[in-house]
Amino acid sequence: MLKEVLSHIFREPATRKYPEVRPEIPEGFRGRQVFDVSLCISCGLCARDCPAKAIEMVDVEGKKRPLFHLDRCIFCYQCAESCPRNAIKSSKIFELASTDKSELVVEPKSGRGN
Amino acid sequence: MSEKEQEILQKLREELGDRIIQVQTTRNEKLLIQVKIGAHKDAIRKLLNEDRNAGVSAITGVDLGDVISIMYHIRVHGDVITIKVEVPKENAKTTTICDIIPGADFHEREVSDLFGVTFEGHPNPKRLILPDDWPQNIFPLRKDVETANLIRTLDSRKSLYNEKNVAEGENVKIVFGPQHPALIEPEMFSLEVDGEIVKRVEPRIGYVHRGIEKATEQRTYLQNIYLVERICGICNACHAACFCQTVEEIMGLNIPARAKYLRTIILELNRIHSHMLLLGHAGTEIGYETFFHYMWRDREPIMDVVEMLTGNRVLASFITIGGVRRDIDEKMIPKIKEKLAILKNKLPFYKNLFENDPTIKMRTKNVGILSRKDALKLCVVGPVARGSGVKMDVRKDEPYAAYGEIPFNMVTYDDGDSWARLMVRLDEISEGLDIIEYALENLPSGPYRVRAPRVVPAGEAIDRVEAPRGELFYYIKSNNTAYPERVKVRTPTFSNIRSFVNIAEGSNIADIPASLVSLDPCFSCTDR
Repeated sequence: MLKEVLSHIFREPATRKYPEVRPEIPEGFRGRQVFDVSLCISCGLCARDCPAKAIEMVDVEGKKRPLFHLDRCIFCYQCAESCPRNAIKSSKIFELASTDKSELVVEPKSGRGN
Repeated sequence: MSEKEQEILQKLREELGDRIIQVQTTRNEKLLIQVKIGAHKDAIRKLLNEDRNAGVSAITGVDLGDVISIMYHIRVHGDVITIKVEVPKENAKTTTICDIIPGADFHEREVSDLFGVTFEGHPNPKRLILPDDWPQNIFPLRKDVETANLIRTLDSRKSLYNEKNVAEGENVKIVFGPQHPALIEPEMFSLEVDGEIVKRVEPRIGYVHRGIEKATEQRTYLQNIYLVERICGICNACHAACFCQTVEEIMGLNIPARAKYLRTIILELNRIHSHMLLLGHAGTEIGYETFFHYMWRDREPIMDVVEMLTGNRVLASFITIGGVRRDIDEKMIPKIKEKLAILKNKLPFYKNLFENDPTIKMRTKNVGILSRKDALKLCVVGPVARGSGVKMDVRKDEPYAAYGEIPFNMVTYDDGDSWARLMVRLDEISEGLDIIEYALENLPSGPYRVRAPRVVPAGEAIDRVEAPRGELFYYIKSNNTAYPERVKVRTPTFSNIRSFVNIAEGSNIADIPASLVSLDPCFSCTDR
């Protein structure tokens, strides 16, 4: 036991210096989804399968598109899996804390990754 | 049906004669025997006499319209045999089985709370899950009760609980909880103490009951995977695995061999990090914070592996109906092995610590003893049972995933004290590391999932998984739609927590937190 304690004096701390030192995020991390509106076929499968009911289909230029309520999202990525056209992709964005709920609504604007 | 089951069925037929109404099997070939009201007790007694290790696994209620079906799932020779009685809804009454198997206590009280069935002769027929001032005529899991009505009732109540703190005779009553006694979860134990010695314990759970069983009926099977996963953050993969297995049994779906191995890996990672979390907590409760920090530091590599494999540190969302959701990358395997080796090298140090350190020995040896006899009587499961010398592990009794193909040892200790229960977990960490290593080396090639239909054919199935805290039990009844008719979840802590009464009575009050932690209670599981 004492040996273990002493060895710690010469060791680097187990904690990380976030946010100065950025953490290394593994491949395949389930961060904020990135929605590509050009691939969307308005099928609504993502909204139907979402277990947290975080996706709402809204009208954009006459077509139904998914609107993400990130405050309700549980980041299970079922939407990405259900999408037949791979319009919903993964990202490594994890810093989503906000004091305003409205900031967490991701609207399906045209263009990539909004 | 196996030969053993045929034999048991024959004996039951001789015993009960025409009191047996119907013999069925579930989709996964488990015996389901419907008997007349009142005959269930004789049937259960007969089953308990069959096997010295037999006990109550769970009691399920199902609302079938005019009648409520009560299913007693009895664990016999490692398998589950179900005795079913149907009682009229208008006059839902049956006799208790607590006098022949005391472990049925909480199970009956739960059915009584949620379905309004009276168990005549029950030794302590108080509320268990619902609040004390809940209306007498609303039974949440009955089909005619609307969810909106439940929320309204819950919001309109004035007080949470009416526990009277009155000293009886010479004894003083100490209310332990509900604000986070020992672990950071709400539960309450009323302790009657005479000086330093605990004389009587009255447990109360249900403080954060979320009605997940009711909620599953309003979601599709696909959505329910993520819901049941959130019953417990620590053993989330076990819940998902058990749910998916049960649904696959109803569908008759065979999952690919690679998926079975990948499931085994994530289930063992779950077990390892859960055991390390608990051992760390045990450290704080016995006043050994250094040990807590070491355990939680060395738990990090495991969390990293989970994140690498699934995309998230805690909630894996890895298992789905038909297999697993993502494949393991070949390049990942050496990295995982490297991380596991970090922990493996530390384990001899911890084992030595547990066997020789005076602090740990003084606080856990011969403290909180649960004898083998009591363990069987109270139907405890998992490491609590194995710490009392009961050889019981679903991974061996009824292998699921790839456990049938992977060699490993069942860890048991005969001491029955807090130390033995903690040692079971420490040894299971090293077994778990070996299982993962074996699975990684012998990973079969091929697909990792098969597509499953959204609609599940009508049927029912029972399945079990050995979660870190013990046997996890699922019963699912489907009705040929995409929504389940009934999902019953019996979590390991629900079976284990009743034994705390026996452990605590007669012990020193200072040992209460440490003995409670040694049971590894998870109340978010219990209050599903």
